[in-house]
Amino acid sequence: MNSNILTLIISFFIIVLVQVFLFNNMFIFGFINPMIYLLFLVVYRFDDDQTLFILLSFVLGFCIDFLSQSGGAHTISSLTIGFLRPLLIKYSFGVNSEAPSSFQNDLRRRNKYFFLALLILIHHLLYFTIVYFNWSATFLILKNTIITSVFSLILIALISRFYKKLNDT
Amino acid sequence: MRRIIEALVQFRNPILYFVLLGLSLLFLNSRSHFHQYYLEKYSLYFSQSFYNISSDIGNYFHLRKINDKLLKENKILKYFQLKSNGISLYPDAIKAKKRFSFKVIDANVIKNSYLNQRNILIIDKGHEDGITSEMGVISDQGIIGVVKSVSKNYSSVISILNQDLKINVRLKNSSAFGSLSWKGTNPNDFQIDDVVINSSIVKEDTIITGGMSSFFPLGIPLGKISNYKANTKSGYYKINASLFEDPSQVYYVYVIENKDIEEIKKLKKDILK
Repeated sequence: MNSNILTLIISFFIIVLVQVFLFNNMFIFGFINPMIYLLFLVVYRFDDDQTLFILLSFVLGFCIDFLSQSGGAHTISSLTIGFLRPLLIKYSFGVNSEAPSSFQNDLRRRNKYFFLALLILIHHLLYFTIVYFNWSATFLILKNTIITSVFSLILIALISRFYKKLNDT
Repeated sequence: MRRIIEALVQFRNPILYFVLLGLSLLFLNSRSHFHQYYLEKYSLYFSQSFYNISSDIGNYFHLRKINDKLLKENKILKYFQLKSNGISLYPDAIKAKKRFSFKVIDANVIKNSYLNQRNILIIDKGHEDGITSEMGVISDQGIIGVVKSVSKNYSSVISILNQDLKINVRLKNSSAFGSLSWKGTNPNDFQIDDVVINSSIVKEDTIITGGMSSFFPLGIPLGKISNYKANTKSGYYKINASLFEDPSQVYYVYVIENKDIEEIKKLKKDILK
């Protein structure tokens, strides 16, 4: 239990730092800025305290916003994802007892990637909507959402595999 | 109380979410001028429509008050209008200081009959408000009648739609005098008698009060001539006229008090002696 909390805290800080100092400076094709901090929202145990999770997702978004000098878009979108995650879990893994206790412990690949893609898409859509905040930018929002989602998805899928090994030890 | 706490505990996640969402919106608002501008725009839009609704509702409840206020204002304006009517007809007299002996009291019609041959109105002001019999009653577009009898809070008015009532009128452009009376059929059909045939008459000429009746001051516009016929045998015109306002449809009226009426009555009596 204690080690779990420790891992949580350490991974929180590592994810924030890596996002802010590495991925925020990465511009794939000149404009794509993958958001890997969503990894934290993915690997948080599914059966753990939900209230704490909402708070954590707010703090996470706030930290990213604060350190990357952006408005409040990260906060709002990651907070919303934190709130919606139980629904997404139910939707992608099923309501029955097969629901896994965490993302890493599940072996159904299709469900996992569906969950990941759904989470990232919703997050990115919200994020870019808030960033542009304009009806006339609808096309731009959709374009950015889809392309950035693809890269975020690839990166998060890769890193989450790595994460699983860490968590097991 | 326990139930409230239970409900709070049960819905702690959505509550927490919305509280934090509000916080982050505040954060967004303070951090980014772009978002501040848009959020303010939307909030202005919402608050504006909200205020519009509330002011509409408020206005509706204040209508009565506003109406009373306007009526009071109208009373004052009516006084000045009546006063200036006479002056504009005799522009030479504009410098001469002229006495204006009329005073205006506003009133509401509470009963109006118009289907009989001799119609009576009742207004909601009586001798407590300074109304006595034989005062003129006008509306904003013409004459309504003459006060007949007065009780404490109410007065009855002989309507202009009464064949007994004859009103001294003149024409605006030809200054021919005559007397206006109702024909007794359509509330808009009037006739003018006693206009001498040697005065020139134009169709559509405006009829104004003649100022000789001591009920009404000079120059209140009443209506216009619809058609006329010269009756050479009697030496008088036969003129049909219509009013500007349908007297069966009035609600707000002004009672005109002539402060000199006693003086005039006394003079008349002296002549008859």
